[in-house]
Amino acid sequence: MLKYFSGERRLPSLSDITGSQRLAMLLTLMVVAYISWKIGQSAQQTLQFAFNGVSVGAVYALLAMGFTMVYGTVWFFDLAFGAAAAMGAYGVFYLRSSEALQVGQFEVQNVYLNVVMAAVVTGVIGWVLYTWLYPPLRKRISPSVLLVIGALLTIGAGIYMFVLLSFPDDLNEILSPLIGGMVAGAAAMVLSRVYSRGLLGTRNLTPLVVVIGTGALVLGAFCGLLVARTPGSSLYLSWGVSSLLAGSVGLALYRGLYMYMRRKARSPLIMLVASLGVLLAITAFFTIIFQSAPRPLPDAFGSNSWEIGGARIKPFNVFSIGVAFTAFAALVLLLKRTSFGKAVRAISDDEEVAKVVGINTTAIIAIVFFIGATLAGLAGLLSGHDTAIQPRMGLLLLLKGWIASVVGGIGNIYGAIVGGFMLGLVENYGIWDLAGEWKDAIAFMLLILFLAFWPKGLLPRR
Amino acid sequence: MLRNLQVYSTLTQPFRDPWGFLKERSRNPELWINLVVIGGAVLFLLSKGTGFAITVGTVFAIWAILAVSLNLVVGFTGLMSVAHIGFFGVGAYSMAILTSDPLYEQLRSETIPTFALPFFAALPVSMVMAGLVAVAMGSILNRFRDDIFVLVSFGFAIISFNVFLNWRELTRGAFGIHAIARPAIGGWEADGKLEFLLVALVFLGIVMLITWFIVSSSFGRVLTAIREDEQAIQVYGYRAAHYKMAVWVLSAMLAGLAGGLFASWTSFIDPNSFILLESILMVAIVILGGLATIWGSLLGALVFVLLEEGMRFVPFIPTEHIGQGRQIVLGILLVLLMLFRPQGLVGRYKL
Repeated sequence: MLKYFSGERRLPSLSDITGSQRLAMLLTLMVVAYISWKIGQSAQQTLQFAFNGVSVGAVYALLAMGFTMVYGTVWFFDLAFGAAAAMGAYGVFYLRSSEALQVGQFEVQNVYLNVVMAAVVTGVIGWVLYTWLYPPLRKRISPSVLLVIGALLTIGAGIYMFVLLSFPDDLNEILSPLIGGMVAGAAAMVLSRVYSRGLLGTRNLTPLVVVIGTGALVLGAFCGLLVARTPGSSLYLSWGVSSLLAGSVGLALYRGLYMYMRRKARSPLIMLVASLGVLLAITAFFTIIFQSAPRPLPDAFGSNSWEIGGARIKPFNVFSIGVAFTAFAALVLLLKRTSFGKAVRAISDDEEVAKVVGINTTAIIAIVFFIGATLAGLAGLLSGHDTAIQPRMGLLLLLKGWIASVVGGIGNIYGAIVGGFMLGLVENYGIWDLAGEWKDAIAFMLLILFLAFWPKGLLPRR
Repeated sequence: MLRNLQVYSTLTQPFRDPWGFLKERSRNPELWINLVVIGGAVLFLLSKGTGFAITVGTVFAIWAILAVSLNLVVGFTGLMSVAHIGFFGVGAYSMAILTSDPLYEQLRSETIPTFALPFFAALPVSMVMAGLVAVAMGSILNRFRDDIFVLVSFGFAIISFNVFLNWRELTRGAFGIHAIARPAIGGWEADGKLEFLLVALVFLGIVMLITWFIVSSSFGRVLTAIREDEQAIQVYGYRAAHYKMAVWVLSAMLAGLAGGLFASWTSFIDPNSFILLESILMVAIVILGGLATIWGSLLGALVFVLLEEGMRFVPFIPTEHIGQGRQIVLGILLVLLMLFRPQGLVGRYKL
């Protein structure tokens, strides 16, 4: 405080504020005035538009998080995320079409698609095994044996995927052994961590192994049976399956295509155009398989909506907002607290140096693509449940996610979620006095406004 | 004069010394690409008859004008724009509104302004309209580069589609505009298909000439310099922004011309002809054919048109999937080109 009086530092005056800050203040004032005017007109309507905006914003935020993460790591926009979004939505449709169309799912059942997806999953599983399990085990077991076991596992996974996609009506029964096994494995890991501390001194490990093994097996079997005996769980399982499938396609695209391109690309436009080509091809492929007409997805949480303060919101929208925040929290934890996050930050600072330091950049970037595409697939299926799905939805969703990530501040995960919700709100308040068809134009107007005055976005990357 | 002589000698070389020309070029993949594409086109059209060839030729001419005009921006100046469908649409709608028949329009429930101008009076106006829109867009787009430029140009493509769809007083929204005039001069009217093809080819020739003049002038060399290094050319005292704006508007006017031709050819337009996807396909044509060559854009348009028309005759593809099939092939081609040949089939500039 003394500094201000002694003249070392003067109080900030109006002339210190830069032009863009003044403009920001003016705009904020205008927005506040507009909203308060609208509240004066009809508080209930205002709340309704806010609900609509936030529910759409959750989808945009999910997409924007994926974009911003990938852009922050490899410095290009992967437009194929639009295809991943459509894939997420159509995955649910494909697996649950008997519920959605009230007819047999054989109308959309397509062997070629099953084969392609199974091949992608095979590739991804094979890559995962080869990247993470092969190097540490190579020293203990002979490489040829390992390769044979790995190949068998990989082919098994592919066949499993093919069966899963071919008989979507029995989704829960087919998935139950996998889920049971995963639960058993996780339980065994947790239990052995817990007990090994207390019992490390004991010489005879057999009772310990028996206890832990039985406990894990019982838990796994219970979970598997639970899944198998509740047919209603199929819808929720199909969400997981289709978003993970979308993620696998994203990973396969990076590992099989972008990686080679990045080595010789001299401008970011090469990657952009290539991913545009991927988007074109996948969208057209989906149009051929599923036709271009809009289709519904099965009802998730019932169609009756909750009433809060006179405005209505569907339970599903609340759920999608929850998903967005959960994904955001998980991503923040992943990026700030784990060694994986550290590696991602190192790569985004300088990929060459990261490689020199010993980070497996290919693997890390591939996981980043996997996470981004999974989020995009999740966003696609959430938006599909909210409205309807059509093969072209990917392009528009992609553009919205792109806008949201730029408005929020590209490369910043906090910016992505802020930008997503902001875009949703602005879109919905914008169409209050205009027709609903102007939504997309309003979104781009927001983008142009931001780029003209704050090209770094709301929350710039340091 | 000297440069004209050089151009003359390169143009006549294949005729003066065909063997030497072939020997010189046979190492070059571009010759083979040209031979395959053009030979395939000629054989294909010969086998399918003249009526079909005329239709395909007209579609080709319109796409080629668009591709050449877009190549001015994407190839020669290095601005990856997806917004060109907007100028195409503005040209088409101007042509439709200016020439649509008042007698026919009276029968419709929603009225739009009608002027009943002849084709050749409306064409310059539609070019100017596209140019004016381009001035507005360009003043915003000029601030950005690389990926953000692409994003904002996506935005303009979507905004222009929204305007076509929702400004019902002018465009009649999704119903579209009917009865658009055919080119007519004096007593002669290009009402037949062959006549229209001739008109379209004449315009294609004019557009190619204009583009050739632009890119071979000093103006064109500044554009190339902007593409290679914008800061460097600014150091030499050229105002890059002005040059970019000029070429942007010129290219938009040529696209508007293509739009006018398109509207007149189909004699019915609605917003579905001007969706974002068409714009992406346009960029795909330019990249496929070759960046920074006029000839390459023609080649790209030829490949594009042949892909669609050729697929009609592949036995195992159902007719309703042709458009999608072409899109798949184009998408895969784009990816392969980016991997192995970033300059396109016969391009001069690597992306």
